[in-house]
Formats: sequence, structure tokens, C-alpha cells
Amino acid sequence: MINTFTGKLALLSFSFFMASGGWAQTEKLQEEKELEVVNFQSIKKVLQKDGLSESAVQKRKTTDILKKEQGVIERKRYFYPTEAELWGLVSEYWLVRNAQLLVWDFVKPDYGIEDSFRTIMEKLGFFQKKYKILLLNSPALVRASLPSDENEMILLLSVPFIRSLDLSKLEISLLLLEDYFRLEAEYFKKAVRTPKMSKLAGTNFQGSKPDPTMLEEVLKNYDQQVMRKGYTFQQQFEVTKKMDSYLKAHPELWNAYFRLLGKIDKFIKVNVQYKDYVRMYPSPEMQVKWLSPEEKVL
Amino acid sequence: MWFLLVFFSALTFADTRSSDEKVVGVFYFKPLFGHVHQSSSRASASMTTIQCSHPVKVIESSKVSAAAEWAYVQVADHKGFILKDFLSEKRPDCIMGRYPKFFDAFNLDLSELYYWGRLNDQYLYGETRAP
Repeated sequence: MINTFTGKLALLSFSFFMASGGWAQTEKLQEEKELEVVNFQSIKKVLQKDGLSESAVQKRKTTDILKKEQGVIERKRYFYPTEAELWGLVSEYWLVRNAQLLVWDFVKPDYGIEDSFRTIMEKLGFFQKKYKILLLNSPALVRASLPSDENEMILLLSVPFIRSLDLSKLEISLLLLEDYFRLEAEYFKKAVRTPKMSKLAGTNFQGSKPDPTMLEEVLKNYDQQVMRKGYTFQQQFEVTKKMDSYLKAHPELWNAYFRLLGKIDKFIKVNVQYKDYVRMYPSPEMQVKWLSPEEKVL
Repeated sequence: MWFLLVFFSALTFADTRSSDEKVVGVFYFKPLFGHVHQSSSRASASMTTIQCSHPVKVIESSKVSAAAEWAYVQVADHKGFILKDFLSEKRPDCIMGRYPKFFDAFNLDLSELYYWGRLNDQYLYGETRAP
């Protein structure tokens, strides 16, 4: 065993010695090296004369520019939408996720609400406003206005509520107008916007995954705002006063609005199914008082 | 034998021509998601769901009648109806095209895709005029 090992060691030493000798033999002379440099220089001159080295530099520059542009395009794919672009998307996603609860996918007659609302909006001077009205076949949600894309709104309205109150097209349009004013005042956006949404919207997430909690948090706030929280007395007061000031120039509309509020007030006081309405939109009774002329003390 | 083969080929050609369908042009779907409907009614069943920017062949046929606001279309193997308002001659700038990686993270399931398409059918659209 020891003999075999000694033999291998000797063979290894011999091989190493031969290899070293061989390397020493192949080492180039100084003159040879110098000659190579000279030759290279002469080749380089030829290349320069042909403009080949310039074209190589140009090619490298073009490749660098293309690589940079490709990087920019790739980076663009990893952006969160801006906040303005997110609203429409999130509102629709919320509607899709709550399709069964809100029951908006149903066959309905043509009520002509969209035309009646357009007439009132134009009469009051609101031009180039886009809207999408979604009728709900459920009393679970009476009404709501959701933000959409720029200069557009989504208005929700319960058909059982309209039918129970036997609302006319004009009355329905006045309800929608109130909801439009709420949306314009950005009460909804302020209530559902999260710090994470404000921080991430419009930013880049290349190198990581988009944060799924951003959407989930906003959607949770939608549930809270639309189904439970609603609006404050102060917000309702502001909206009512705004309706008052816009409708004053059109007495027929103002009277219809005043009568409508009284109608809703009486209806929700006796109808248990809509007991949450007062909590969400406080309160038709107060709205009537805010609109009523002050009593003079003699 | 050869004569018979030519004769039957000619018959087959005559049959396809008799369907009287003419492609008017290729249009693009505008809303985020939508359906190709079995008939020209918002409530009619969905044949397939398509997404924004999907190319759609608009067909004309004397045998198919549709309401004025509907287009008779072909999408892959399906022939059905889409609201004309949902079609554009130019490829639209879709949000899923602008933010593809963000949109991938939505992971929408089939039911959500279906409902998103239905949502666009159920909206009552309106716009006030310019001053």
C-alpha cells in the first residue's frame, strides 16, 4: 500500500517537473512580445483606416441605448395605477365582489331614469358629466354614489325602494343629484382612502410583487362606508344646503325636492326594512327643517 | 372520377357562399370585460367573455336581424351580438394594458370575470351635453 503511494508521488513530481520545464520553454521572448505589439498596432491602424473600430463604438452605443429603452419599457409594466385611475377600477371590483348581495344583475324595464337625470343636470348647468346608473333589485342598499374614472360617476339605486315610495322620474333624479353632490364633495373618497393607497398609487414595484393588502384595505372601507357608516350630519347639512341653493332658481324642482324629503321621512319611520336609512343619511326630518324657512318670532 | 371530384368541390363552394355573410371590419372591444351575447338583448345568455382591446369581426348578413344598437360579430368560433357602443375602430388604451403586472395580481376568477362583463351590460349610461 505504502509502496503504491510512494510510486504515485514520484510520478506526480515528475509530471510537475516536466510541465514546469515545458512552460519555461513556451514562454515568449521579450522581442517576440514587442513584435506582437507592433503587429497589433499596425492592425489597429488598418482597422481605424477602414472605420471598423468607429462602427464598433457606434454599435456599442446603439446597443446601450436600446438596452436602456428596453429597461424603461420593462419598468413601465410594473407601476401601480395612479389614484385617479384606481377609483373606477376599485369601485367596479367592489360591485363585482358584491354582485350577489346587491342583486344588480336582473332584467328590468326601461325606466328612462338616465334621460330624466340628464335633463335635470343640464337644466342646472352641469355639462360634460358622464354617469353610470346601476339599479339594484334589493333593499339591502338603498342608494350610493361611487367614484369612477375622471369626470365620471357610478350611481346606485334600489328598485324596491323606488317602487315602495312610488317615486316619479323627477324624484329619482333629485335623489341622484344629491348623490352627485356628495361625490363632488369627495366625502366618499376621504372616507375610504387608506394611507397605503395614497403612498403606493402611481409608484413602481419592479423587483417585488404588488401589495395585495392595498386593494383589500380599500375594499373593506368601501363595505364600511356603503353598507354601515354612511354620512355625518355635517355632510348632510352641506349637501342639503347645496341642493337648496341650486334648486332655488327652479321653484318646481325645489318644491319637488322638499316634498320628496318629507315623503322619505314618513316612509322610513313606519317601514322597518329601511330603518338603517336614517343612520346612513341623517336625516330626512332634519333636512326638511334645514330647508324650511325660519319661523319669525313676533 | 376526376370530373365528379370537381363537381362536388364546386357544390361545397356554392354552399359556403350562400351563407351570405360579409365581414364589415375588425373592431376592438372597449369596456374592461364584456360578453358576446346569444341574441341582441342585454339580458341574453353569454356565449363567451372577452376583455378590453379584444379584436372582434363585425359581420353583415341578410339572414340575421338585430336591433339598431347591436352589432352581429364573430369572436373565435362564436357568432353573437355586442352593443355597438362597446366597439371601437381603433385599439383602445386599456388599463390592463397600461398596468399589466398590477392587473395580473388581481387573479380574477371565472365568476368575477363573468360578473364584470355583466356589470357593463347592466349600467344605464349617460352623459350631459357640452355647454
